[in-house]
Amino acid sequence: MSEEELKSAIERGVEAATATVQRPGRLLAAVPNAAAVTALILLKARGFEHLSAISCTDWIEEEQFELVYHLWSYQDRIHVMLKTRLPRANPWTVTAAPLFPHAQTYEREIHEMYGVHFDGNPRLTPFLLDHWRGPPPMRRDFNTRDHVRERFGIEERIP
Amino acid sequence: MRELELYFGPQHVGMVGNFGIVLTVEGDTVVRARSNPGYLHRGFEKLMEYRTYMQNFPLVCRLNVMDPDPEEMVYAMAVEELAGLTVPPRAHYIRTIVLEMSRINSHLFWLWGFGNLLGFDTIGQWAMGDRDYFLDCFEMLCGGRVYHTYIWPGGVRRDLPDGFQDKLRAALDNLERMLPDYDEVFFNNRIFADRTRGIASFTREEAVSMGLTGANLRATGARVDVRREEPYAAYADLDFEVPTMDAGDSYSRAVVIRREIDQSISIIRQALEKMPAGPAWKKTPNPFKWRVRPGEAYAKIESARGEDGMYLVSDGSDKPRRAFVRGPSYPAAILMLEKLLEGASLSDVGHIMLSLNIAAPEVDR
Amino acid sequence: MITEKKSIFRPFTALKYLFRRPHTFCFPFEQKPTADRYRGLHLNDREACTGCGNCADICPNQAIAMVEQPDVAPCPGKKNELPQVDYGRCCFCGLCVDICPPGSLSLARDYIHIAPSPESFLAYVPATEASGGEAFVTPPDYSIMKASLSHRLADNAGFVSEMDYSLVDFERVPMEVVPPEDRRNSFVEIVKGFSEEQARREASRCLDCGLCEDACPANMGIADYVRAIWEGDNAAAVRVFYEKNPLPSICGRVCTHKCEEACGIGRRGQPVAIRWLKRYAADSVPPERLGEILARGPAETAQKKVAIVGAGPAGLSCAYYLALAGHSATIFEALPKPGGVMRYGIPEYRLPYDALDKDIGHIQSLGVEIRCSTRVGRDVTLDGLHADFDAVFLATGFHVGRSTRVEGTDHPHVFQALDLLREITRGGDVMVGRKIVVIGGGDVAMDIARSMARLQATRYGTIHTTCCCLESEDIIPASREEIDEAREEGITVCPARGPQRVEIDAGRIRGLHTVECTSVFDEHGRFDPKLNPENKQFFEADMIVEAIGQAPDLSYVPESLDEKLAKEGRRIQVSEDLQTSLPWLFVGGDLIEGPDVIHAIANGHAAARGIASFLESKS
Repeated sequence: MSEEELKSAIERGVEAATATVQRPGRLLAAVPNAAAVTALILLKARGFEHLSAISCTDWIEEEQFELVYHLWSYQDRIHVMLKTRLPRANPWTVTAAPLFPHAQTYEREIHEMYGVHFDGNPRLTPFLLDHWRGPPPMRRDFNTRDHVRERFGIEERIP
Repeated sequence: MRELELYFGPQHVGMVGNFGIVLTVEGDTVVRARSNPGYLHRGFEKLMEYRTYMQNFPLVCRLNVMDPDPEEMVYAMAVEELAGLTVPPRAHYIRTIVLEMSRINSHLFWLWGFGNLLGFDTIGQWAMGDRDYFLDCFEMLCGGRVYHTYIWPGGVRRDLPDGFQDKLRAALDNLERMLPDYDEVFFNNRIFADRTRGIASFTREEAVSMGLTGANLRATGARVDVRREEPYAAYADLDFEVPTMDAGDSYSRAVVIRREIDQSISIIRQALEKMPAGPAWKKTPNPFKWRVRPGEAYAKIESARGEDGMYLVSDGSDKPRRAFVRGPSYPAAILMLEKLLEGASLSDVGHIMLSLNIAAPEVDR
Repeated sequence: MITEKKSIFRPFTALKYLFRRPHTFCFPFEQKPTADRYRGLHLNDREACTGCGNCADICPNQAIAMVEQPDVAPCPGKKNELPQVDYGRCCFCGLCVDICPPGSLSLARDYIHIAPSPESFLAYVPATEASGGEAFVTPPDYSIMKASLSHRLADNAGFVSEMDYSLVDFERVPMEVVPPEDRRNSFVEIVKGFSEEQARREASRCLDCGLCEDACPANMGIADYVRAIWEGDNAAAVRVFYEKNPLPSICGRVCTHKCEEACGIGRRGQPVAIRWLKRYAADSVPPERLGEILARGPAETAQKKVAIVGAGPAGLSCAYYLALAGHSATIFEALPKPGGVMRYGIPEYRLPYDALDKDIGHIQSLGVEIRCSTRVGRDVTLDGLHADFDAVFLATGFHVGRSTRVEGTDHPHVFQALDLLREITRGGDVMVGRKIVVIGGGDVAMDIARSMARLQATRYGTIHTTCCCLESEDIIPASREEIDEAREEGITVCPARGPQRVEIDAGRIRGLHTVECTSVFDEHGRFDPKLNPENKQFFEADMIVEAIGQAPDLSYVPESLDEKLAKEGRRIQVSEDLQTSLPWLFVGGDLIEGPDVIHAIANGHAAARGIASFLESKS
């Protein structure tokens, strides 16, 4: 299946989806959050069995988080970046773990770093951070410099 | 029988890397395992958002200590794709050589850890000794033995110095000469086979559903390799095989890695022969005045551990909006490891972890 | 994989290692040499280091701080700062080496640092009793000199800067010029100017270090306006110009660009083309839009009246800044049009008249009155100005040519360059000899030689103009571009020749006798030319032009005033505000700084500030 065929399939099969062929082997597909799971099922059924990763970007000025599911088909050799947006004020979505078991870990990290909640994920427990009591640190409004200043009081002394 | 909770790592003689596994054991059998990562969390992805594109370049090699060049490569590839930069042909060949040297180094380092965890000390010492000659080559090429800061957007940082080719060939010759002895001592060793055959096996479907790539996947019979699927650098012009095995157990994974070393040596020799002339870098824009147009790129390569990817998002400013690193050990180190350790013998815990070729820095970033 | 062949002889295969070189044990001991490109602690070549701070700006870990060196005096192209590296932060990536424009910074082939005591090189120490329990306080023994690797061997450099692999772009975007064959008989402007794409590309080379700003006599915000041009915001660039300089179209063509001489990239490559960038941005704004972009009319303060003598760069600049401060400035100009030497000295092919009119026009639009053809000393008197105005600024410049006074220079066909240039600009008739010799090697000499060559080409179809000067080729005072362009246009430039006498025969000039000049300055740098009479050269000519220097004409200052003025030798003494010993009288421009447009503009601005505070103190 070519990138163009995949693009058409996604736009037909998933409500309100727009897909762009970025270059040979790369397809960008943007779907509303309600259709994200449908899109994942469509892709998995079409041979996209490998979930490379799930990443999250903070578009703070648009007050949205963007989740990107990175999927790869060994057969067609296409990498799909399935993008979906969540409102920053209440980032809640559904887990992809039943489809891709190891999505659980990526979602766990995004939960810890961004504060996104994945309903149905059995393990949204602390992952990389130890005894962290601050806000989700990968958010753009969390400034590491300011945090160090407040927490350790060091910065003032460095000329 | 009483259940005990043991901490395997981060402070443990048998742990390789700054990683931890919480084991619940009943006697000698592991009942439950929970990975405990985070000891190497340096916050790279956040740090990269505060630095300009050129300032980020010295950071990325630190993402994987044992195999630093693939991270430099994916970052450079992602930036080149976003900014529309071209790379001269000679740089592609030099990058190929550096990546393969890094793969060899990583595999030799793995051999040290893997051998030790099975009780073979000698093979590890040999591997580290032979690895040192490659580190000398890196020192000559880029001034650093472990952190190379050599592959940057636009090409590579300096051209090959005089005498480098000879030094590299000497290191390759030495390794090739030693490899039959490695086999003699370790890979053909009955004890190694008995201890690893049938241990921690999984099928191709299980591997893919758990996100495994690289040698872990090839050991289950899938002939997949990013260098073949999406050729980058000079791989399209070079001749190499992708070794696979069928059983998907610890033994198969080790043998696949061993065969990859042969392939890497062959690739480097071919690249040295076919090296084109020309510049090794095309100047990138002034780092103080470099704004990359908005966009996103996913660059991936085959590192020693599997699919190594970087998802870079730019928003039109001089700093990346998001730099997401896909470390190949990430899926293996958490869910797959926990699954494989369930029911395993306590004496196998270390070597199962290392048979998946887990690198802790890639997990934590 | 497993070849389980067993053999009783297998262990004996280990004998092959008997004569192999071991990894670790080496006898006799050999020191393993460090690689040539090793990245260790820093080395900095103090002589070459400009103190620009680019290393500090690029370091991803902010490990480098620029520390002031109080014992070193800053000079154009060099700040009195040196980089100090915090090795707790440095990751030895070497980006600082790759961004260093002069290539003074390098990484050594070792990590060894020898210090007499830890406090001498540790910038931050843990809390001690002596520090009163305070942590991270710099100990009193700490000294940048001791910590900054001054003891390190300079020949231990490992990772050094290579220009092909440097992050600095050393090559300028070339400027398109009218080719020499098309310039011969035309006064069309030679420089064609940058297109938008070229200008933004050239502006993108600038590393923002600010060495240029320190060197600019008017201290213009160069890094800011170059950045604005790079971003495509020419209006913002123009606003930055006018903060310090109201004549950007002019300076963008003829400024002596001390900035470019100071530019760090110029140490090993070509400096950023700051002057051409200024030309591009100034030209991009049409005159009718200038007022709207600068968005400021005169301020509304007490309207005092200031008289300015001379509508050259100093006078115009002073008038502009006085007008902005709300004062009424009137300029008295002896010549028919304003501009001074800029109009009447610099030829049209370097500075077209419409560029002059544009800049001067904007100044006039602020309400500055320029009374042309009004000579102070003839049409009005200086005493009269003193009576009618609250303050006076003298900016009459150096517009009188000096003469060599060798035998024969009193012949009517021996001219002064400045007189000829003035006449050419006025559109009057000038004598155009068939063979012309110009005495002098400065920019004025080049100007007149190239102008006369054009007139010769127009009138006769051929060029025969020679320029001879005392200085040897390497120290000819004219700018290198002028000399090269003059030669391209067919002018012969003969360095190291001293004029002896003009040969006159039957009332007509035949030529100029010269001898070799072996040196111009003595060991103290004083003007003391040494001639070698044995080496003679005769230049055929029917017209000779002298362009050996300019001098002021202060005859309009009446003696009664002159004797009250404090002087340094013959130069009028002024304060930092350019105020003379007579509080209402200010002097600036060539009269104070010597002939240079940008210095004059800076003077005008300083004088305007001085006058404004004087006027305020008076009221």
